[in-house]
Amino acid sequence: MKSVVTTVIAAADAAGRFPSTSDLESVQGSVQRSSARLEAAEKLGNNIDVVARDSYDACIKKYPYLNNAGEAHSTDTFKAKCARDIKHYMRLIQYCLVVGGTGPLDEWGIAGGREVYRALGLPTAPYVEALSFARNRGCAPRDMSPQALTEYNALLDYAINSLS
Amino acid sequence: MFSNDAQCRLLFTKESLMLDAFSRAVVSADASTSCIGSNKISELREYLAAANRRLDAVNAIASNASCMVSDAIAGIICENQGLIQAGGNCYPNRRMAACLRDGEIILRYVTYALLAGDASVLDDRCLNGLKETYAALGVPSTSAVRAVQIMKAQATAHIQDSPSEALAGAKLRKMGTTVAEDRCASLVAEASSYFDRVISALS
Repeated sequence: MKSVVTTVIAAADAAGRFPSTSDLESVQGSVQRSSARLEAAEKLGNNIDVVARDSYDACIKKYPYLNNAGEAHSTDTFKAKCARDIKHYMRLIQYCLVVGGTGPLDEWGIAGGREVYRALGLPTAPYVEALSFARNRGCAPRDMSPQALTEYNALLDYAINSLS
Repeated sequence: MFSNDAQCRLLFTKESLMLDAFSRAVVSADASTSCIGSNKISELREYLAAANRRLDAVNAIASNASCMVSDAIAGIICENQGLIQAGGNCYPNRRMAACLRDGEIILRYVTYALLAGDASVLDDRCLNGLKETYAALGVPSTSAVRAVQIMKAQATAHIQDSPSEALAGAKLRKMGTTVAEDRCASLVAEASSYFDRVISALS
């Protein structure tokens, strides 16, 4: 699992040297920005059910055809799976906020995602819509501090770009 | 699909495991597909609050590494002169050099673990199979363990930045970082636990 610290260590190890001053400085740089990230992670973690549910509702509202027989949102099982997927993305975004990098999204959300959706015949546009809804609803300082919101939105953008 | 077992293993080899305090939290939360809870996040905030001290500690060890290693190896030889006599494991120079190199490697991985706040990199990249390797090469584990014990004491002194004048003499060297009131007791304990991990892996 990649994070700033593990990346630094992997590079130092590949060169067979002790952590250098610049290694330590890059860790410190990430430490300095981390309070905003952890704030966003904590707020998202505490409200993830609401955030995921609202995003899910938004995408089904925008793409009502999904409710038609045979479509991806036509049965209770399908509905539950859709809601679960949205929450899954939000959870990965929380993980990314904690590690301070896109490692969790890359490894568990994006790698192979396109192939899976294609194999299952799922459209990606509704996912984009759900994440865009989450992207646009956040409001500082109502929901979290401006810096925290910036970090949160950047990760949502990253996930949206990977799907579009 | 796979023509033989070896090929299959090659493709599915577990990726090397390296975690830090943050990715450890992520991996364990993912195991139960749950978010990272508030209590875990406050633990991570503690790591961050003490991060400058941790970086100073890593810097203290890294800056003194070659001295620590050569002193530790000199120490085991002082205590056991047989090592540098014909047939000893630090004789001739070629084997002495290998010994110094191994001391540095172990210290380096302990330093990585201290930086990460997690022992996985030490376990996975250094200790995994080390005992078996040493057994195969005929390295005496008592001497190796003793060298690690010496490095542990040195690391403690460097993290606390409290080298004793009586012991260090002319070699006395202070890092001169701001000294915390508790002499970084929790970091000393953490670093010691990584050295203990090496010792128990070798014993």
